[in-house]
Amino acid sequence: MSFEKIRDPRRVRHWKGDMECDYIYTAGIAGEKFFTTIRDKAKLLATRCAKCKITYLPPRIYCERCQASLDNWIEVPKTGTIETFTTVHMDNNGAPLSKPITLAFIRIDETDGGLIHEIGGTKPEALKIGMRVEAVFQSKSKRTGALTDIKYFKPV
Amino acid sequence: MTVAIVGVGYTDVRSTTPDVSFKESMFEAAVKAYEDAGVNPRKDIGSFITAAEDYYEGYSIFDEFVPDQLGAVLRPVCTVGGDGLLGLITGAMQIETGVFDVVAVEAHSKASDILTLENIMTFAFDPVYNRAFDAHPFFVAGLEMRRFMHETKTSREQCAEVVVKNRRNAIDNPAAVYPAKITVDDVLNSEVIAEPLTRSDVSQMADGTYVIVLASEKKAKKLSDKPIWMKGLGWCSDTPWLESREWGSTVYTHLAKERAYKMAGITNPRKQIDFAEVDDWFSYKELQHIAALGLCEKRKAGKLLQKGSFNRDGQTPVNVSGGRFGVGNLLEASALQSVLECVLQLRSEAGKRQIKDATTAVAQSWRGVPTGTGCVAVLSNEL
Repeated sequence: MSFEKIRDPRRVRHWKGDMECDYIYTAGIAGEKFFTTIRDKAKLLATRCAKCKITYLPPRIYCERCQASLDNWIEVPKTGTIETFTTVHMDNNGAPLSKPITLAFIRIDETDGGLIHEIGGTKPEALKIGMRVEAVFQSKSKRTGALTDIKYFKPV
Repeated sequence: MTVAIVGVGYTDVRSTTPDVSFKESMFEAAVKAYEDAGVNPRKDIGSFITAAEDYYEGYSIFDEFVPDQLGAVLRPVCTVGGDGLLGLITGAMQIETGVFDVVAVEAHSKASDILTLENIMTFAFDPVYNRAFDAHPFFVAGLEMRRFMHETKTSREQCAEVVVKNRRNAIDNPAAVYPAKITVDDVLNSEVIAEPLTRSDVSQMADGTYVIVLASEKKAKKLSDKPIWMKGLGWCSDTPWLESREWGSTVYTHLAKERAYKMAGITNPRKQIDFAEVDDWFSYKELQHIAALGLCEKRKAGKLLQKGSFNRDGQTPVNVSGGRFGVGNLLEASALQSVLECVLQLRSEAGKRQIKDATTAVAQSWRGVPTGTGCVAVLSNEL
């Protein structure tokens, strides 16, 4: 019946709600060792499954292919290869970024993993898949034991 | 035993639904589905399944908010934290146990109620390794897209053709929200989100609800003149670690397909599959999924799509419904939109967009970034 039709959508009732969610996330045994080593020594650690011949970076204390426990920690180079990259023009709220950020997945040498991180020290136009890069660490006093202890990766 | 789809019910898909609550949409779709199947939910349906994700819904323990509108109060109910196709597969398995002979499966999107979708997506990322940057969560799509184009020599234009095709297909789908005649240039020239991904390479959100009624082989033959048989089912999750994945391909679809095709006896998908509804959250994603489903030679999806092989009159029509691009992105419910299209086509009820003489279809789903999870179902109107 037409007289019951919603004529003014502004009069439709809505309730606004927030899902406020604050958490702490535990880095875990592997994450703790990885990040404290970055903080204290500016070095990258990985774990290796000898049976599956997989070197995990980020390191894990288990192998995702054979479910074995891993405690074979190795230091790996801070260099790697750009496997893919993107320049992002929007922030994580969907608003335009005044300064676009270039992110890449860097396959770290001697591992089967790598890190997603920012690329610096070059122009995005100069980037290519396959380009060699290395991690640039924050100075020791600024390092807190987080991914951001690596400032960015720059072309070698 | 083979499980059949014996009833489908759905609401209109709309860009926004300020007049109805998600419960009322579910009620509408459920009533239609039960009517289509000729079942009474209070007597004939043994179990009810919804596919939903708490954060998309804005409720904790969302499972608790589904029984009443489905006719499921005081009955066996569960929610799977996955897409609609995983819900459907779960329903089929419940029937296979022999405990239930009729099961209802529901999925919906009320995306217009979500005020901070980007935040929810960011919250799906690993907090320690992947949330450090103030970048739109689609940066993962930008990374995937570039690697896919590099490995397969797919051009930027070929990705854009997916958007052109699917939005054009939607013109003949009365349920679609985003039908349009656009050009490759329109896609290429739209605002850049995460290079090479533009705004037009991303499907737009919409609201809609689907309910599907499943029945055992014996019961299906009694209930329906046109049962659609679930011939093959598969699902798979890649490692959740972005750092350990292949960036250019979708191994989850490849493995889910292997399982589903084996079950369905599909050995030559290009010949045996008449049409496909695949996930197209992003333009390049459809090309990845077409390749992973074995509907073309490796690395050829973009080239063949450009040639028209996946058009409605092509070798294997893909997303005749319009997919997420044309119908609208319905979050976890798009998988059931894909299933609905397969059912309508296989029942010869697809109107202007009807594919002639189709007997076997494949529906494939993916849950969006940063997931590596998806399902595959082979559906047929022949037992």
